[in-house]
Amino acid sequence: MPLLAAEGVSHLGGYFFISSAMFVLGIFTMVTRRNAIYVLMGAELILNAAALNFVAFARHHGGGGGTALDGQMFAVFIIILAAAEAAVALGIVLQLYHHFPTIDVTKPDRLGD
Amino acid sequence: MDAFMFWFFGGCALAGAALVALMPKLVHSAFALVLSLLGVAGLYWTLGADFLGGVQLLVYVGGITILFIYGIMLTPRDATRWSLGSLVAPGVLVAVPVAVLMSVAWKGLEAALKPAAPVTSAPTTDAIGSALLMRDQYLIPFELSSLVLLAALVGSVYLARRRRGG
Repeated sequence: MPLLAAEGVSHLGGYFFISSAMFVLGIFTMVTRRNAIYVLMGAELILNAAALNFVAFARHHGGGGGTALDGQMFAVFIIILAAAEAAVALGIVLQLYHHFPTIDVTKPDRLGD
Repeated sequence: MDAFMFWFFGGCALAGAALVALMPKLVHSAFALVLSLLGVAGLYWTLGADFLGGVQLLVYVGGITILFIYGIMLTPRDATRWSLGSLVAPGVLVAVPVAVLMSVAWKGLEAALKPAAPVTSAPTTDAIGSALLMRDQYLIPFELSSLVLLAALVGSVYLARRRRGG
């Protein structure tokens, strides 16, 4: 099957391949790094892969009355929530650094003072 | 031309993601993340989602990346040793199950899909704006997301502020 035909279903294969690969690389970043900021970057890659999949698959809506716009709306909300998530998570990372002298996610071992 | 744009932006997205995963220095990974996010914005444009591509540029490339750079500057340098050899086992453990899962999922999905709607150059901003403000479409999630953003704004300022005297 060619990943990228001129038109039709197999065109989607290319987008599916790219979003899958981005998802894998995001998971890989999250599990191999111990720096909290790397873990956040991995999460951003995963969210982008999911949003790309929504947009690409919505152009092949297989019934149910959806339109190509519905996938784009999901991606808009993913971006909104990712912005909120990044701000809060970096606030937590800074607080982590104030309480422990490190941002290694395996080091902190208590929640309270 | 479409195929060229697809592979160009897709290559940017993939190369950026791979560099995020493999670069030894945090700040290099942050700039590789910019490349990857730009590639995704381009892919949105090849899919006819022009508004989404613009939002991706503004929010991700312009906003979230800046947050990451600030996060990197405000935290200590990463002192962990980093070698490619130590990555083989986790790489295989992550990639093989996901690859199997994805190919099975693709085999199932391919049969159920209809042909793609043709990519038009019609702007989608108008349609997205109407859909966000229609009561029977996305009005409630839209208003709720403004609440979420307000809560995140207040919460992250509260979390990140410097506590005086302990």
